Amino acid sequence: MISLVHYLTVAAILFIIGVYGVLTKRNIVTILMSIELMLNAVNINLVAFSRFIQPEVLTGQVFSIFTITVAASEVAVGLALLFRVYHDYDTVHIDKLNRMRW
Amino acid sequence: MDDLVYTIAFYILAAITIASAIGVVTKHNLVHSALLMALCFIGISGLYVLLQADFLAAVQILVYSGAVAILIVLGIMLTQRRSMENTNPNSGWPRGAAVVCALLFVVILIVIAATPWHYSSSMAAQDTPSVLARLLFTDYMVAFEAAAVLLLAAMMGAIVLAKGGEEK
Amino acid sequence: MNITLLTSEIAIICLSLLIIILDLLLPRFETRRSLGYLAAAGVAGVFAYTCTQYGVSATVYQGLFTLDSFALFFKQIFLLAILLTLLFSFDYVEGLAKYQGEFYALLLLAVAGMMIMASANDLLTVFIGTELMTVTFYILVGYQFNSSKSSEAGMKYMILGSVSSAVLLYGVSWVYGCTGSIVFEQIAKHANTSLGMLFGFGLIVAGLFFKMALIPFHMWAPEIYEGAPTPITAMLSMGSKVAGLAVLLRMVFIAFVPMQAYWGGIVSIIAAITMIGGTVIAMWQTNIKRMMAYSSITQAGYMIVGLLSADASGIKSVLFYAMLYMFANVGVFATIIAVKKHHGSNEIKDFSGLAQQSPLLAVVMTVSLLSMAGIPPMAGFAGKLYVFSTVIEKGYLWLGLLGFVMSMISVYYYLNVTKVIYMNEPCVQKEFIVSQPLRIAALISLLATLWIGIYPGPLAELANTAARSLSIL
Repeated sequence: MISLVHYLTVAAILFIIGVYGVLTKRNIVTILMSIELMLNAVNINLVAFSRFIQPEVLTGQVFSIFTITVAASEVAVGLALLFRVYHDYDTVHIDKLNRMRW
Repeated sequence: MDDLVYTIAFYILAAITIASAIGVVTKHNLVHSALLMALCFIGISGLYVLLQADFLAAVQILVYSGAVAILIVLGIMLTQRRSMENTNPNSGWPRGAAVVCALLFVVILIVIAATPWHYSSSMAAQDTPSVLARLLFTDYMVAFEAAAVLLLAAMMGAIVLAKGGEEK
Repeated sequence: MNITLLTSEIAIICLSLLIIILDLLLPRFETRRSLGYLAAAGVAGVFAYTCTQYGVSATVYQGLFTLDSFALFFKQIFLLAILLTLLFSFDYVEGLAKYQGEFYALLLLAVAGMMIMASANDLLTVFIGTELMTVTFYILVGYQFNSSKSSEAGMKYMILGSVSSAVLLYGVSWVYGCTGSIVFEQIAKHANTSLGMLFGFGLIVAGLFFKMALIPFHMWAPEIYEGAPTPITAMLSMGSKVAGLAVLLRMVFIAFVPMQAYWGGIVSIIAAITMIGGTVIAMWQTNIKRMMAYSSITQAGYMIVGLLSADASGIKSVLFYAMLYMFANVGVFATIIAVKKHHGSNEIKDFSGLAQQSPLLAVVMTVSLLSMAGIPPMAGFAGKLYVFSTVIEKGYLWLGLLGFVMSMISVYYYLNVTKVIYMNEPCVQKEFIVSQPLRIAALISLLATLWIGIYPGPLAELANTAARSLSIL
């Protein structure tokens, strides 16, 4: 029988894959994709909790609708910034963005 | 019998989701990554169907597999002029990052295992769109309006940034 | 249901929309200064309106949005911050190549996000308010189109900010799973100390600490402060930080009361390393904006100290400190903008001879910096006294001593700037122009800093009322 724990584990794996992508990838587009994976993991968590803890009140689902909205706007702004970076640096690799020291 | 079908469906969808997510961060070709990400989103929407969140499953496909994936592909097309080979390289320390992630994963698994869950036995809400709509337009009204403003800001910002960057 | 509680937020958003529309109607090549004046006048109006709202304590939408003196106090900090920032940045915005109207509009939307954060009483509204603020800041940080540093800073802020939002959200999902609710009072009712709950709480706090740029979540601050347009740097260091603080206070003292047992140890350590790290690294900076980044990290460390004494006096000290921190920041950033206009760069050596070129700004800068260092009779002294006396009462003597030592060390690098201002000769001999609005903003900051320092009573009283309205206490 599939229970909450199964869904949480899937979400955890997805979240970790996202973290791994953010930590290791150099291309900003992939980093954006990894962030999307993390946000999707959050959504799976929310929907699963909503289903198993509180099936009659859909708070978790409402929350994930907002997460999706925010993720979409973040991607839009992120890509706009990406074009600016590409225009200024002629690269989309994060490690080439070093005109300021860390 | 239903249980068996449900279990099989869950494992298939979970496998699709996780395998394609791994593909996103390991493929060397950026376009493959983006397509796998769309597949991953579809797998997740399948999981939502299993969780009886039908409206959300539809939104997932429309917004993520539709809009976000297309945006990402557009981003790739506009910034990648040379060949697509090896457009998705790793930084210096993938092994170290893998170890960090594995540790983090173990922590989350321990948390999942150690937390007592209070399962509710009541039935899932039928007709989710109307329940969601009622919540959105009553309790979560402020958040809803603020999200609308956020979308406006993001749209305006995206236009301003993209245009300001190019016509210098 | 009483929609009037939302008046100030609605007014700010409408003001922003009005500016967008007027921006389209104005002739293309005309300056947008008039829109800036309109924004400042509107914000001043809203500020005046919020003054009449003190004493209200009501909620709307099933308690998800609450207006009490605590929220009002923070809203007034944000409104004052944006008002003064607008005043000193008219010239700066005029220097932007284009999209000046949108700049004002977006800045107002960011403030609307902060105001929603201050009033939010559930995790969803907190999240949306935070995102409204940060997404707008991603845009504004990358707003300087002729500078590659600005786009680099925007990109980095966007990536790190989104990751921190994702982490915060993951924590929110765990808290929701463990309590079955996202409303603060309900969370408090169902809160337990299961591992999942602690995990979720930890992730949420980490996300908020990122917004406040506390060490070890501070990596983004120096670069983004350096690359961003200066008015945005000012708003980041005032708004983003203080808004994170508002959310943190309300959350910790209403929703996560049972967690406070675990809270003291971790927060005292983070506060300690933040104070030490921020102070030590700030000493080596040559760029004034980077120095201010580390300085603001240190200041956030001081503010977080007040959280340790979990009672009204602790919260009062934090509120008091947040207000005076805002005024000191206004003084510093107004001067930075004026000097940047004169020299075209933000190095500390550009401040040479400021005392001869503009005695007023030299005094403002000195007073603001000394206020941050906590020298009497400036406001910072009273603030630090409140913060550290409350934690010492709670038995954190070592933290109080550490804060004192770090304040003394920070005097060194603040005085370093002052020394450059007064001792060195001006390196460029040309007329130093200080515009009238900037002069007003600087003067307000100067007077407020001195007045709060000498008569801390009224503000302390106000902060006390605000702290007590956080009903749980």
